[in-house]
Amino acid sequence: MKDRLKTAIDYLKSKGASYGDIRYVRTTAENIKVTNETVDTLAHDVSQGFGIRVLADGAWGFASSAICTQGEMRKVANRALQIAKASALTQREKVKLADVEPYVDRYETTVATDPFDVKLARKLDLLLGVNKILTKGSKVRVAESSMDFYRTEKMFLSTEGADIEQVLTESGAGYTATAVESGEVQRRSYPNSHRGDFGTGGYELIERMKLLDHAERVREEAVALLTAPVCPSGPRTIIIDSSQMALQVHESCGHPTELDRVLGTEISLAGGSFLTLDKRGKLRYGSRIVNIVADATCPGGLGSFGYDDEGVKAQRFDLVREGMFVGYLTSRETAPILGERSNGTMRADGWNRLPLIRMTNINLEPGTAVYNDLLADSDGALLLDTNKSWSIDDQRLNFQFGLEAAWEIRGGKKGQLYKNPVYTGITPEFWNSCDAICNRDSWHVWGVPNCGKGEPMQTARVAHGASPARFRNVMVGVGQ
Amino acid sequence: MIGTDKIHSMLQAALDLNMGDQADAVFLGSESGLTRFANSTIHQNVAETQSKVYFRVAIGKKLGVASTNSFTGADLKRAYKSAAKIAKVQRENPHFVSLPKPAVYPTMDTFFEGTAKFTPRQRAMKVKSIIDRAGRKNCTVAGSLSSGSGELAVVNTLGVKAYQRISSSSVNVIAMGATSSGYAEGLSRNVEDLDFRAIAGTAVDRAVRCANPVEMPPGEYEVILEPAAVASLIEWVNYIGFGSKPFQENTSFMAGRLGEKITGDAVTIYDDGTDPTAIAFPFDFEGVPKRKVELITNGVAKGVVYDSITAVRGGCESTGHALTPDASGEGGLALNVFVQTGKSSLPEMIANVENGLLVTRFHYINGFIDTPHAVLTGMTRDGLMQIKNGRLKGGVKNLRFTDSILRAFGTVKALSAERQLINAWWDSLGCISAPAMHLGSFRFTGQTDF
Repeated sequence: MKDRLKTAIDYLKSKGASYGDIRYVRTTAENIKVTNETVDTLAHDVSQGFGIRVLADGAWGFASSAICTQGEMRKVANRALQIAKASALTQREKVKLADVEPYVDRYETTVATDPFDVKLARKLDLLLGVNKILTKGSKVRVAESSMDFYRTEKMFLSTEGADIEQVLTESGAGYTATAVESGEVQRRSYPNSHRGDFGTGGYELIERMKLLDHAERVREEAVALLTAPVCPSGPRTIIIDSSQMALQVHESCGHPTELDRVLGTEISLAGGSFLTLDKRGKLRYGSRIVNIVADATCPGGLGSFGYDDEGVKAQRFDLVREGMFVGYLTSRETAPILGERSNGTMRADGWNRLPLIRMTNINLEPGTAVYNDLLADSDGALLLDTNKSWSIDDQRLNFQFGLEAAWEIRGGKKGQLYKNPVYTGITPEFWNSCDAICNRDSWHVWGVPNCGKGEPMQTARVAHGASPARFRNVMVGVGQ
Repeated sequence: MIGTDKIHSMLQAALDLNMGDQADAVFLGSESGLTRFANSTIHQNVAETQSKVYFRVAIGKKLGVASTNSFTGADLKRAYKSAAKIAKVQRENPHFVSLPKPAVYPTMDTFFEGTAKFTPRQRAMKVKSIIDRAGRKNCTVAGSLSSGSGELAVVNTLGVKAYQRISSSSVNVIAMGATSSGYAEGLSRNVEDLDFRAIAGTAVDRAVRCANPVEMPPGEYEVILEPAAVASLIEWVNYIGFGSKPFQENTSFMAGRLGEKITGDAVTIYDDGTDPTAIAFPFDFEGVPKRKVELITNGVAKGVVYDSITAVRGGCESTGHALTPDASGEGGLALNVFVQTGKSSLPEMIANVENGLLVTRFHYINGFIDTPHAVLTGMTRDGLMQIKNGRLKGGVKNLRFTDSILRAFGTVKALSAERQLINAWWDSLGCISAPAMHLGSFRFTGQTDF
């Protein structure tokens, strides 16, 4: 395969492309979902192909194919060149790329237990065992448990001399109990909603989750929510659990710091960003205890890799430092606008997709609060746990999140349970109301396997480190 | 295009391995191109040739699924064998009885050569015309234009042999002024049906008319929802309520309420994959012919859509709404949703509003807040306008809504006589056909800064 890719690169050079790269990707996936006692998804998928990206006449062209022959590669290269020439018809300024060292390297996820070597029967037994606990009694009508495993083998070669091989392994699992009674539907999940938690690594990640140990609690909480009162509306002090903090970071910091959004190139689908270029280094994004980094080198993070899909080495850098907005996620095309080199966030969700700026591991750094002390210091506050719904405007300012459960804190402990909690706010006001972030003992990197962006739609697997945090005077409910 | 004979024989060769009691194979292939533009220039321009084959093997009531995008005989057989191997370690699915039996499919004209062969240069020229038109009104534009073709085939060991080729094209345009934006879109199997000039003009006109938007407080408003806004609500309502899975799991607002009035008399919603005025398609991913299904008729909950497995559980027949085999656990999903039209028109609706809002479209809707009551939240986007004394007054800064759509649709005052095809996330296999809708009450619960 490598020889064919090299020949394609030589062909692009011979055709006068000012830049070109070829990316071969082979992805193997195993997806299992068990509903009650029925295994309703047990699927194995293999997908392979290549994509060629070229700059010609100062404009981009991209073409791809699943047929990995030398002849097809030449055909696809010609198609990419034709497309680039068509793109140039509306071009105002020629694309310029930031310099990058042409790495020749190999990167592989550290895996203790290869998930594709673990017998299916063992995986099914675990998921069915979880569901058996979740469905005990009559009120949990739907127990869903799942496991997902991905292996992505990539080769990246460029006309600048890059030659990078990567093998990424990703694993995840989770479950949800849905209790139903008298027209009321309530659910609880573990370790997180939206198919659970994910990371780069092998089956050891699943074992660490101790899925069976939490099933009884999840079932009891789902049933208790059926008769819990609706969460009261009004401005409140809230403590947000670490998995919801991960999504809060994702929507209100991760997406708005993507420089392509800032520059308007994602307007047609996902929207723009309030973090315009003039705000860098000047906007107080959050309180002084808020520090957010992008870290593609974070061990085990679902957004960890060796090199991005432009051949830029994985990096760690600041987005928010002591509350000030200081950085963007960039690419080779966008970084020169800031007078910088790319910080390596361009990724595609397969051989047939163009790399876009994507989040890596966007982490809210741990603070100093001790979790139990924070609860003791927050009498009357609401503890909000596990995401249920999410929505944010197209500039990433007005957000609204729904949670699976809320508890009122009394005497340093969880008190009254409430159903259907919702909180809403405006991003910088919200983050400036943050007065406590828990320390590393409560910090976890949560995998988000379903981040959508781009046209055609691409799904990226990203992650967010976060610990529980407290916010003052936040609007809870929707005022009705 | 590979063609029906070659695809069927390729799939049949793998099924002939005969490693289970029953088996089916689904082929999905496409050749597509998409041109994205922003800041009035093309910035992404892509082409893709993609195919996938799914095999589903049944051993008794045990089902295994495997898929591949490699079409060498050896790889197809390997994928088939993987499906059989998975079926062996599977648990029994009590609701699986049999794969569907052979059926007769209606003949449909779903393929247009000119759309399949629409070139990157042709797309670029259409985009250039949109850019130029917006530029004359001092607007910049962003959006995308896609065109392409595809083939879908289903074969099973009981004799099902289905094949259909399709083409599709869609365009969306956001026009932006200094303080406002406007939106319009188009969708057709035939790219020649897309009126790029009109679509660009609509987006630009809305952006110009919404300049310098004013702030209005959240609260309950009389609203007119344009077709794109209606369709995005229906997209979520469909996902949480009209499929067999949420219905059978009792999480749907339809569960236990068939025959009951759940929303306004004027609201009739149905699914019809055979209606050639939309993005028709004759069969589902199990090779079952698509049936017209009444979902809500005159405000009364009438039914949901099924695949073959959930139909057994429901004691009925499949309605022809199965998804791909890897997603078969999700049950049936309506892909060709129609909202019944009324007798009004957008100008008439506006003339009948004393004090209200016109919504061009919504952004980032979420419907998981309270599914039994179909509570949705989302933001307005690209053209929220004030209506005062029967006239459009000007732009309004965007608002967040949170409301039960059954409640809101219970206040319908009028529907337009014309409806528009609106693209949904399932893309070239269907769409949502929606009219404009005049509601007496819609609840806005928050505001933003632009």
